[in-house]
Formats: sequence, structure tokens, C-alpha cells
Amino acid sequence: MQIWQVIAALAVIYLIFFILSPPFRSFDTLLSIFGQASILAVLACGTTIVLISGGLDLSVGSIFAVVGVTVGILLAEYELPVWVAVAGGLALGALLGALNGTIQVLTKVPAFIVTLGGLTAYKGLAEILASGRDLSRFPESFQAIGSGYLMPMAIMFVTALSTGLFLTKTRLGNRAFAIGGNAEVARLAGVPIARSRIYYYMLGGLLAGLAAIMEISKLNFAMPARGQSYELFAIAAVVIGGTSLFGGRGGVGKTLIGMLIMQTIIVGLSYMGVGTSYQRIAIGVIIIMAVYWDVWRRSVR
Amino acid sequence: MKFSKLKTAIVASVIAVGTVGTAAAEDLRIAYTGYSTDNTFWIGVANAAAEEAKKQGIEFIDMTASSPDSAAQKDAVDRAIDMGVDGIIIGSVDNRAFDASLDAAAAKGIPVVAVDTAIDHSHVSSLVQTDNLAAAGIAGDFITGKVKDGTVLILGGSAGHQTGNARRDGVKNAAEAAGLDVIFQICDWQDACAFETTTNFLQSNPDIKAIFSAWDPGALAAVSAAKALNKLDDLVIVGFDGNPANLVAIAEGEQTATIKQDNTRMGAESVKNLVSTIKGEDAPKVVPIDGILITADNVAEFQ
Repeated sequence: MQIWQVIAALAVIYLIFFILSPPFRSFDTLLSIFGQASILAVLACGTTIVLISGGLDLSVGSIFAVVGVTVGILLAEYELPVWVAVAGGLALGALLGALNGTIQVLTKVPAFIVTLGGLTAYKGLAEILASGRDLSRFPESFQAIGSGYLMPMAIMFVTALSTGLFLTKTRLGNRAFAIGGNAEVARLAGVPIARSRIYYYMLGGLLAGLAAIMEISKLNFAMPARGQSYELFAIAAVVIGGTSLFGGRGGVGKTLIGMLIMQTIIVGLSYMGVGTSYQRIAIGVIIIMAVYWDVWRRSVR
Repeated sequence: MKFSKLKTAIVASVIAVGTVGTAAAEDLRIAYTGYSTDNTFWIGVANAAAEEAKKQGIEFIDMTASSPDSAAQKDAVDRAIDMGVDGIIIGSVDNRAFDASLDAAAAKGIPVVAVDTAIDHSHVSSLVQTDNLAAAGIAGDFITGKVKDGTVLILGGSAGHQTGNARRDGVKNAAEAAGLDVIFQICDWQDACAFETTTNFLQSNPDIKAIFSAWDPGALAAVSAAKALNKLDDLVIVGFDGNPANLVAIAEGEQTATIKQDNTRMGAESVKNLVSTIKGEDAPKVVPIDGILITADNVAEFQ
């Protein structure tokens, strides 16, 4: 699926709500769509890298929880400077992602299983770390990261841009397409598959950490229950955008549009008074339609 | 001629009154976001709020997320503010999430009412909440009416949890005032703990005549434990919440009673309160809602 098709789909969906709902037409609404999509979009940029390389990381929602709680502890309990807590959180996210990749490369257990284990184990870790403590009321300079719509949007665009440049302009990024497209051919061509894969998972973990920092900053508290099923929303955005679930094709711009499509539907439907349960059904239908459209187009060709 | 003029006048005035009526009704639009849509108690709050809004001719937008999710709830509140609704009702998943949103609501002059859980922010104009102490007091009075001597075992929620403490104290105060002994055990709202604690105490302490669980599934666990020891018939077991499974147990004579939070009144009062605030009328800071005692006598009304 070409990116202009996804953009056209987004435009059509936006236009439908624009016509149906007068309050939807305001500029504030447009801002809120971007702003509210930003946290999951950052997470989904990491998911895009991992999926393009033919991997899968189900544990990013739990990495999100661990990083959120840890940064919360560093700020609320140890009262460390904001930049130290943020850097620590990002490093921890990268570490947990790399751990997933390493275990998978070493044991050859399928990614689905390794990261399913990670999903459960990291969740437990987050709960142990938090152990019922009240992690809230962070310094104001930290709250600036995720509050309002402009700062989260800026972080989203910078993340998407750097992830896009990484995938298209760097050797390590280019290899993701080669490995995801055909690992055997890539191996014969001398691509260091194992090492590259660990890096992709590491980046996925890093961006999950960044998303977690944005969210606890926005909410002004941290809790181990956060991040639940975020990995699935991220995968949904990637798939709606048209990145292949089987690796080798795709891009981070598409993911961004995919996330905006989901968020436009959520915001648009709630403006029209449609409840969240119906919104979920709508998004489920869109996920299947997006992939079917891709499959159908390729079979016609 | 005269008659038709009169008719025109009547029709015109009816139309005028009608239009004024609908205009006033369409003027107000309020948003509601509760704990989640997968929770029986909260479905009741939302339905009652929607009904009250309908009665008053107000547009009611339910923005509750399908599962308890504080980020989604904060987004919903922000969305409601962007939409420029006239007022917002929040039954918060986590009351710490809303500082920035409430600042924005204050800036736009959108009043906010909290339901069930207090939100610590100057812009929240009022709180509609079950008075847990008073509601548990009803349970305590019921127990002391049935049991004249012996010990009451209280199965509590989490340590330091405001709701759990209030429910404990309501029963404890009434029981001690009536000269009963009280044993309090913290169970962190865990059903398995309620079962084990009940078993251990029933085996070791023959004085226990009544058990109060601060949450209804805990009362069901106490029923099972007492049943296994063949002691169910000698015990008064009271729960809190009025869950459907407990109502069945009460109807079948296993559980003695429960206290139901009056979620219907909570929903209705929060809308009434918000509307008064929007209209600039005086609204109470806190609206305490009583609990309802459910026993075998009246359980059918609630099933």
C-alpha cells in the first residue's frame, strides 16, 4: 500500500466527521487528535522497526510500565534531576528491549513466545518496583514533557523523523528491510542478522520508554497498570498504515498516518456521542479492512 | 374570523412556548466520564445520570472508556473541554490525573463535579459520594440487632484505604457500642484471604457470631468457608456492594445482608448538582449518599 493511499483514507475519514459534527471542525480538535495520538505513535515507531525486520515485540506495553514506574521512583522518591531520570528511563527501556532480542537470538525461541514471556515478566517487575507506593506530583519541568498538545506533538514528529531517517539512510536501518524480507538471503549476503535484530528490539524498548515518560508526565503519576495492551494498539497502527506484519516492507510515516486514522475515529465518534465500546468495534473493522485491501490489491496485480 | 384568529394565536403561542422549551433544553450539553463501562456499579451510575439529563432536557455525552484507563479518561476530559461542553462529571479511575485538565476547564469556565471519588483540585465544585461510614453503620446496626453477644469478625480492604477504613469503622463503632467484641483482619479485598481468615477464625474462636466483609465477594468467600465448616446457620454474614451473586446468596438464605451503594441516586445527584452549578445556583460541596440495606425481606426488589 502506498503512503498516499493511507493519507487519502485519513483525509476521507476526517472529512466525514467534519461534515457530520460541527464541533469537530475546530482547530482545537485537530490539535487534540495529533496530541492524543502522540504517545502511542512514539511507541508505534519502535514497533514499526521491529515488524519491518520480521520481528515482533509484545512486551513493549510492559516495558512501558517498568520505565514509567522507575522514572516515577527516580523523580518522586530519589528526587533526582529531571534529565537524569529521563536518561535513566530511556536507558532502561533500551536495556529491556535488548534483553528480549538477545534471549530470542540466543535461544531461537520464536519472538512471539519470548516477548509474551517479557509481557508477563516485565509486568511483574513493574508491580514489584511500585509495590503500592504513591508515585505522583512530579517537578514542573518534568510535567512540561507530556502536558498540552504541542510538546507531545513535537516529540512525536521528531521521533518519527529520526526513525524514518534511521530506516532509510543508515546501514543498520536498511538491513531491517533485508532481514525482514528474506533472512536467508540476507544471511548469505553477509548481513549480521543476530546483532542487528538485538539493535531493533533495543530501539523498540527505547521508544516504549520514551512513550512511558511522556505519559507519566502527562498524568503526573506513575502506576504499574499503565501501558496495558498498548503493544496491540501500536501493532494496529502499523498495520492500518500498511506496513507488512511479516516484515520487509513498510515505513514509519505510514504508521504515523495509521495512528492518526485510529485517533480521528476515536475523537470523531466520541464527538458524535458514540461510546467507546462501539469505537473499538469500528477500529477492529478498520484493521481487518486495511489488511484485506492490501492483500486484495496485491492479488489483482 | 374571530375564532380563527384565536386559533392562530393559540397555535402561535404553543409554538412559541415549545420553541422556548426546546431552545432551553438544547442549550446545555454535559459530558460524563465514569470508571469504566465494564463494571455493573458504574453502568448503573451512568444510566441514572443519563436518565436525569433526559428528564431535564439536557444533552448528555457519555465518554466513559470500556476499561478502567486513566490516560483514556484524561483524554476524554480534554476532549470534552475542547468540545466546549457546559459541564463535566468525572468518576475518576485515578484522582491524581486531572490537574492540567482541570486548570484548562477552569480557564474556560466549565464546571466539574466529581462522583464517587474526590478529586483534589480547587476547580471541582462538588463531590457526590457514598458516605461509607454511615452506610457501614447501617450494617453495624443490623448486626447488633441480630447478635446480642459474642464477637464480630471484620474482613477489611487494604491498609490505609479510605473506603475500607470507613466501612470498618462504621461496623466497629456500632458493634462496640452494643458491647460486642470486634476482630479486624486486613484482607486487601482478596477473596482467597477472606476465605482463609474466616476458616481460621471460625475453627479457633467459637465466640464469632457475625462476619462483616467490606466487599461483597469477600462475604461470599466467608459464606463458602462457613458452609464447609457447617457453621453457616449460626452466623450473620453481611457484605457491602450489592453484587448480583450476593443478592442470589441473600435470596437463598446463605448471606444475611448486604449494603448497596445507591448508584442510581449518585448518577442523578451528580447531574442535578452540575446543572445547578452551571446555572450559577448554590450547589452543596459534598452530597453524601446513604447506603441501602438489602436482606431476604427486600432482596427481590433489587434482583
